[in-house]
Amino acid sequence: MVAAIPEQILKMKVVVKLFGGIKSEKDFPRNEEKDLIVETEKPLTIYELIDFLSLNKKPFIVVLNGVILTNLSIQIKDGDEISLFPPIAGG
Amino acid sequence: MKILRINMSEDAPAVKFEDLGQYEGLGGRAITSAIISKEVDPLCHPLSADNKLVIACGLLGGSAAAMSGRTSVGCKSPLTGGIKEANSGGQAGQVLGRLGIAAIVLEGKPKGDDTYKIYINKNGVKVEKDNSLKMLPNYDLIEKMKKEFGEKIACISIGPAGEMKMSGASVALTDMELRPTRHAGRGGVGAVMGSKGVKVIVLDDTETSPRQPKNVEAFKEANKKFVAGLQKHPVTGQGLPAYGTNVLTNIINEVGAYPTYNFKEGRFAGARKISGEVEAELEKQRGGNPTHGCHRGCVIRCSGIYHDKDGHYLTKQPEYETVWALGGNCGVDDIDKIAMMDFLCDNYGVDTIEMGATIAVAMEAGLLKWGDADAAINLLHEVGKGTHLGRIIGNGAAFTGKAFGVERVPVVKGQALPAYDPRAIQGIGVTYATSPMGADHTAGYSIALNVLKTGGFVDPLKPEGQVDLSRNLQIATAFVDSTGMCLFIAFALLDQPETNQALLDMLNAFYGWNMTDKDVVEYGKKVLKFERDFNIRAGFTKEHDRLPRFFYKEPISPHNTVFQVKDEELDQLFNW
Repeated sequence: MVAAIPEQILKMKVVVKLFGGIKSEKDFPRNEEKDLIVETEKPLTIYELIDFLSLNKKPFIVVLNGVILTNLSIQIKDGDEISLFPPIAGG
Repeated sequence: MKILRINMSEDAPAVKFEDLGQYEGLGGRAITSAIISKEVDPLCHPLSADNKLVIACGLLGGSAAAMSGRTSVGCKSPLTGGIKEANSGGQAGQVLGRLGIAAIVLEGKPKGDDTYKIYINKNGVKVEKDNSLKMLPNYDLIEKMKKEFGEKIACISIGPAGEMKMSGASVALTDMELRPTRHAGRGGVGAVMGSKGVKVIVLDDTETSPRQPKNVEAFKEANKKFVAGLQKHPVTGQGLPAYGTNVLTNIINEVGAYPTYNFKEGRFAGARKISGEVEAELEKQRGGNPTHGCHRGCVIRCSGIYHDKDGHYLTKQPEYETVWALGGNCGVDDIDKIAMMDFLCDNYGVDTIEMGATIAVAMEAGLLKWGDADAAINLLHEVGKGTHLGRIIGNGAAFTGKAFGVERVPVVKGQALPAYDPRAIQGIGVTYATSPMGADHTAGYSIALNVLKTGGFVDPLKPEGQVDLSRNLQIATAFVDSTGMCLFIAFALLDQPETNQALLDMLNAFYGWNMTDKDVVEYGKKVLKFERDFNIRAGFTKEHDRLPRFFYKEPISPHNTVFQVKDEELDQLFNW
């Protein structure tokens, strides 16, 4: 007998924040801050999520729940916040 | 190139041009720090006749090299009590170079309280008493200079804060539109200029030519490669021109390193409303300009022009550090009011970082409410008028903290911390603690590798590797600051070896040198040694190379971290 897949893996909702002129070509629902609310029915890696978003430019810096990622093959979880930035600097 | 010395102690100030002599081969920060280190008594009072104010262009100042227009202003700092080099954009660096002046050294002190203006052109130097300039704000002063000397000038000036010798006072440099918007802001250099009785230095490079390289063809070729490298790099070619430095607000906020409410929290709810993206959009809508150079020859163009709601010029595009200091750090989320405060700081001649940090300390003391932008604006007016309260605020965060009994005062060596919390970005904490300048982000900008992934990546939340990172950056920065190049070229230099080589080729072609990367490191170390040595003789010890203790004890949200780099590791920074 195959074990049932837990509900939270079947469907998950994450918030995607786009900065520095990055835009999605898809029409996602948005929160009050105009961030994308992305629902997916299967677990995605950050790579896959970025691909799924159909962005106008490739993100260079990816922040997951406040932490800068160096590995984009990790899987997102329900409730995650992902912030995407192009190459930027200042000071 | 010559050193121009003006001794203000004489009734008719004595003017003398000298060969570079022992300062040959030094420019920008290297020459200001060498002169201060060799000629100024480290124990002197910073506002006394024994201190000197050195204003220098870089090694490539006045040449056709792109990005080479920075100006260094050095002295013993009234804010820190140590050596200071405050670095600024604006037109003066290029004009000084074209006039053949490597450095202006203001020495001595007038006996009375007369105000002087200095005019320099290709024919010589004129130092004149002009008491009609007393207490003029920078914008009014420059309008007056335009009427007197025409529009083909560059000015170096102080506002009322400098005349009142406040430790937060800046030296203003005019930009391409002849507005006093670029500032050597840090360390109270404006107070030292005020103590010399000099209100304004007017530079006129009419009928002068660019400095010529020894090898013209090799120089041209290297400059071409250098510019192509800057245009190719995504940060210097796209990110900075599009949004300016304030594009950092969102990312520093997202990684939880945006000091909020006087360094109590790492995120600000109103950050997006004051971000570079919003600023750039407003500038476009209102007829300003989000992509503008601060001096001729700049190809990055990270600055801009900010208009008010009615479409009238208000100020230059407020920089990231300014927007943070007077914005998020004080709980202010109104970009127009922040822009107004930027204008007031420029006009009265005070450092925006020091003023923002000070207003937050005043908010902590209960003088005004968090987020009350109108009250903050009034406080800046008090600084400009020189009321008793204004004189306290104008002397900076440490002074204000003492005056009002505040414990959380974010300063190192008396200078306020800039816009990155050292608990969430540990590398910048090392720079703040150890730089001879006091808390200064530009001295070793670890953010490039801790956050922006330029030149590699070092985890910002861990203490490992941060001392090495800061050391390497401090050495490289001391060199770049000496060339007269804008520090933002470093983003391309770190990632593109050919752009780094192009800079060396340019210097070698200009001077007939054979400088290699190894020589760059030795050059940077030499500059830091001048500075460190001065500070040691001024009484600084390793205990001054520390952050305030609350950064070690109070965790900051959202990462709930404290500063973890150990004291004994900090002590290794200059152990090369």
